[in-house]
Amino acid sequence: MISALKNDLESIFKDIQISAPEDDRLIINAQKDAVLTILKFFKDKGYDHLAMISCTDWIEEDEFELIYIVGSYSVYAPAAEDITSDKSGVSKEAAFNGGNILLKTRISRKDPRFITAIPVFENSEPYEREIHELFGVDFKGHPRLTPLFLEREYKIPPFRKDFDTRRYVKDFFDQIPFVENKEK
Amino acid sequence: MRELELYFGPQHLGMVGNFSITLKVEGDRIIEAAANPGYLHRGFEKLMELRTWIQNFPLVCRINVVEPDPMEMIYAMAVEKLANLEVPERAHYIRSIYLELSRVSSHLFGLWAYSNMLGFDTVAQWAMYHRDLVLDLFEELTGGRVYHIYIWPGGVRRDFPDGFKDRIVNTLHTIGGCVPDYDAAFFNNRLFYERSKGIGQISQEDAKRLGGVGQVLRATGVKHDIRKAESYAAYNSIDWDIHTREDGDAYSRIWVIRNEMIESVHMIFKLLDAMPEGDAYKKVQNPFKWKIPKGEAYVKIESSRGELGLYMVSNGGDKPYRVNFRTPSYTHGLTILEKMLRNASIADVGNIMISLYVVAPEIDR
Amino acid sequence: MDRNDIKKWFKSPDKMGDKYSLWAIYFCTGCGIIEIPPVITARWDAERFGVIPVATPRQSNLFLITGYVSVKTLRAIIRTYEQMPEPKYTVGFGSCPINGGMYWDSYNTIKHLDKYIPIDGWIAGCMPRPEAIFVAVTHLWTLIDQGKAKAYVKYREKYGLYRKNQEMALGKLDWPPLYTTGGGND
Repeated sequence: MISALKNDLESIFKDIQISAPEDDRLIINAQKDAVLTILKFFKDKGYDHLAMISCTDWIEEDEFELIYIVGSYSVYAPAAEDITSDKSGVSKEAAFNGGNILLKTRISRKDPRFITAIPVFENSEPYEREIHELFGVDFKGHPRLTPLFLEREYKIPPFRKDFDTRRYVKDFFDQIPFVENKEK
Repeated sequence: MRELELYFGPQHLGMVGNFSITLKVEGDRIIEAAANPGYLHRGFEKLMELRTWIQNFPLVCRINVVEPDPMEMIYAMAVEKLANLEVPERAHYIRSIYLELSRVSSHLFGLWAYSNMLGFDTVAQWAMYHRDLVLDLFEELTGGRVYHIYIWPGGVRRDFPDGFKDRIVNTLHTIGGCVPDYDAAFFNNRLFYERSKGIGQISQEDAKRLGGVGQVLRATGVKHDIRKAESYAAYNSIDWDIHTREDGDAYSRIWVIRNEMIESVHMIFKLLDAMPEGDAYKKVQNPFKWKIPKGEAYVKIESSRGELGLYMVSNGGDKPYRVNFRTPSYTHGLTILEKMLRNASIADVGNIMISLYVVAPEIDR
Repeated sequence: MDRNDIKKWFKSPDKMGDKYSLWAIYFCTGCGIIEIPPVITARWDAERFGVIPVATPRQSNLFLITGYVSVKTLRAIIRTYEQMPEPKYTVGFGSCPINGGMYWDSYNTIKHLDKYIPIDGWIAGCMPRPEAIFVAVTHLWTLIDQGKAKAYVKYREKYGLYRKNQEMALGKLDWPPLYTTGGGND
């Protein structure tokens, strides 16, 4: 149940705020040192599916917020026997059905550095690569922080709030002349 | 033998969409593969921050070309969650029927791609024709063949027209009547078995570890479907099954797709029977002045490729503050594809890729 | 349609051959590609118009640029276009290659495709219907008949200007110039 999980979390980890806005969502605000341990904790509890890693640019507070969204494969199983026979040891009580955990942490915007979550969830690799490219966050221990999507280099990573895409279009694409106009 | 680096795509017949892979090969065996997406990156999530809540609908459906409808659905769901909007009961049913129709059309498209790639040209022609019949239904309902923008916060844009139910039934009977033909020509064909058995195999542990969802996961025997677990729309009110296979190879994946397609058709019939009368939409405020209270939401649905998620943050304004999609092709096309291609042969790249059902714009966004 | 007009075939076999064997390169440049499979299969059957998809640029003479062009795709498009043998025809499919369409403020899509490669004609709309492709093909026939589908000649004549624009968008290009003469080349 959600309350059991909440109590567990509060007894193990200090300095975290937990809220449960709906019965199937758990939002946790954690300090950045604790993130990997909490992810590991959830993985051991049977939340074995990292749905995504997202990043929000809170420019007014001068911080980036990293959001790890964790779900589970096993609790999705509708039939009761699938849950009890599951090897991860999750009983129906321990998990809230089909829920998602949103683990959030804030990092400084001036010096955006964090550690990679690949040791815990292997599929975080492309997400971190994307956040590195679009927000400029450095993930320590990531094997290849090479460009994923972009061909051009941008002075400010394009998904930051201070990157003005409309001005960029005006300054760059609109400056390239039409071939007809240049003749004369 | 000498190692070579080989560029596969973006202009290549074995490629689905605009996508490329860099292969490190020795002879014809692939030692390492690196997916190289980004040919379709438009920065949707940035553009959506600059447009109002309603203006984002035309953008959001263009993220996935093959099936734009789950994209509309998930965006509408997130807006409804943030704005605390109720949806009428009938709209839930219409949405489910519409989403299942789109699943059928998307699976037929996938069947076209896969059978075409395996050399079953006749089956490919059938599948594409049958997809077009479904598109005709969409066209009648929404006016658009490919992009529909039909689902709306608070319901759907308009109710079914007169006699539309019958036409859905007719079309699905036409398609369903051809299932024996499909089976004889393709699914029970020994050539299909031999060309796809053991290709792109992945174990259940690996699929879970690398974030597989949808058919990729169900083909390894995991009963994982968001329509069941975290039910949305009207999926809870009817009786249906999740189809799985055990082997986790291309053959199993295509069989899962086939069974799902048939299940979808049955679901549409059941939904049509159970559909209540009533309003199909609830009036929302003037969309030009619509402000949505501060908050954040993570919603997820099952698109025809697997778990589709949307994380959305509102800061109380008339535009979203941050939008981020979790698309099923993302992990399939990046991590799982790279894993599957290791030690495969060059000739199987297209086979593996198309059986994974990757849609490139969904990765790039 | 003058496909069976035997006199015309004798008079200008090259034009007639071009018109009725427009082989389109199979390159999924954008979301417009979703309408290509229906068009080339049984229901709409583009082969009635002599349009078939081919695998390599060396065999093709029609380039349908289907949908928005990101900066990364532009590089592939230029490479593909330059590999096609002449005479070659380009048609921009959808609103996005015309002026950016709904991605007019995206930082990663080029807005006007005709700044980088020459275009013979446009099909507006998002998404254009399959019929629109056929209308475009018949228009292209007329243009070929009248000798107006000469975009590839323009590319040769003004290659320097095009190349300069390409380099502005993509940085230094890692392949040698296709032509050594042409406007703008010093």
